[in-house]
Amino acid sequence: MTTTEDIEAMIARVSLGDRQAFSGLYDATSAKLFGVCLRVLKNRAAAEDVLQESYMKIWRYADRYAAGGVNPMSWMITIARNTAIDRLRVTRDTDDIEDLSEVLPSSGPTPEQAAVAGCEAGRIGICLSQLEEPKDKAVRGAYLEGLTYAELAEKFSVPLNTVRTWLRRSLISLRECMEQ
Amino acid sequence: MTATDTAIGDDDSLLAAEYVLRLLKPGEEQDFESRLLTDRGLMAAVAGWASRLSGMDDEVAEVVPHRSVKAGLTERLFGAEEKPRSILERLGLWQAVSFASLGLAAFLAWQSLQVPQPAEPVARGPLYVSEIAAEDQSLRILAVYDSDAGRLQVNRTAGQAAPGRALELWAIAGDSAPVSLGVLPEGSGADVPLPAGLRAQVAGLTLAISDEPPGGSPTGQPTGAVLAVGQVTEL
Repeated sequence: MTTTEDIEAMIARVSLGDRQAFSGLYDATSAKLFGVCLRVLKNRAAAEDVLQESYMKIWRYADRYAAGGVNPMSWMITIARNTAIDRLRVTRDTDDIEDLSEVLPSSGPTPEQAAVAGCEAGRIGICLSQLEEPKDKAVRGAYLEGLTYAELAEKFSVPLNTVRTWLRRSLISLRECMEQ
Repeated sequence: MTATDTAIGDDDSLLAAEYVLRLLKPGEEQDFESRLLTDRGLMAAVAGWASRLSGMDDEVAEVVPHRSVKAGLTERLFGAEEKPRSILERLGLWQAVSFASLGLAAFLAWQSLQVPQPAEPVARGPLYVSEIAAEDQSLRILAVYDSDAGRLQVNRTAGQAAPGRALELWAIAGDSAPVSLGVLPEGSGADVPLPAGLRAQVAGLTLAISDEPPGGSPTGQPTGAVLAVGQVTEL
């Protein structure tokens, strides 16, 4: 089981140009990052391309990570998620959406399952479950799938301003809930 | 962690959350990023939201990619190393690299990604060269000026910018004030146009590198230490 310390140690070696450490880092983390890319892009070929680009950025900017103090997986996932969203926004409507239903679960862990995991991860799950439906789905749609306000409005069949208000109120609620 | 961003207003806090969620329109996103570079409170808010929302990462299922993806990655990153390409070229099609995708906790000199790589020089006119070096040789940059192209090809052969800082290149003609030639990219090579006004004076030019904040000097003149100096001579 690769720990956070293991990943940080690998990133530190990557920042010095250690290709073996980079290979190990890829092996330890690529399944998660690929899942993140697939969730946004819903297209295997595009997700593979973005996965490669993400690791190229990780290789190039590993020396910047050391100064950040962010959880290493969060940092890497942020790069993957945002690179995927960049690509989504450029190629929307030209790449085919595939049926990935066997591969991607349709829902996350229950709040109880997540709470067992402890700390921030579990807490947002609980706080999201306290939001009125479908606001929790709107927040997830934005974060996990990179949906825009316009796409969220269409998905939930509400006006643009309504979904903006949903998000704002939900974010304030989430912040308060997580500060407790 | 969450206490830091209650110091800023609700509006800015929400803007920070929308930034992390990529809900801002391209123009709004760019404006926000400009603010981020100098506003520590805003930066803390962004970090706070990124941390809060990252809990949802646990909901993403792992999917093992095909082995060919790793092989392709190795080829793209380490293949054809005799001609190092800029990170932008290596990223291929997706050249509109967003600031957000470089990692919210790591702020880079944005323009350093924009400088294209030098093409092979076809020298007809005179070539000028300068070795810009620190006294202790800890930083060394070789610059070759192609007078036909009016461009300076710059290659960093030793040393690099300090963490969180940038290297800016200056041209000094005689007693005139230094003229910025731009921030050096993170890669080892750069291709920099020499302003028309300096081209006639290239033979006696002094080139210098100063230590600057990311994005270069905010004043138009060197603000940090001069790290390396070199004279231009004709080959």
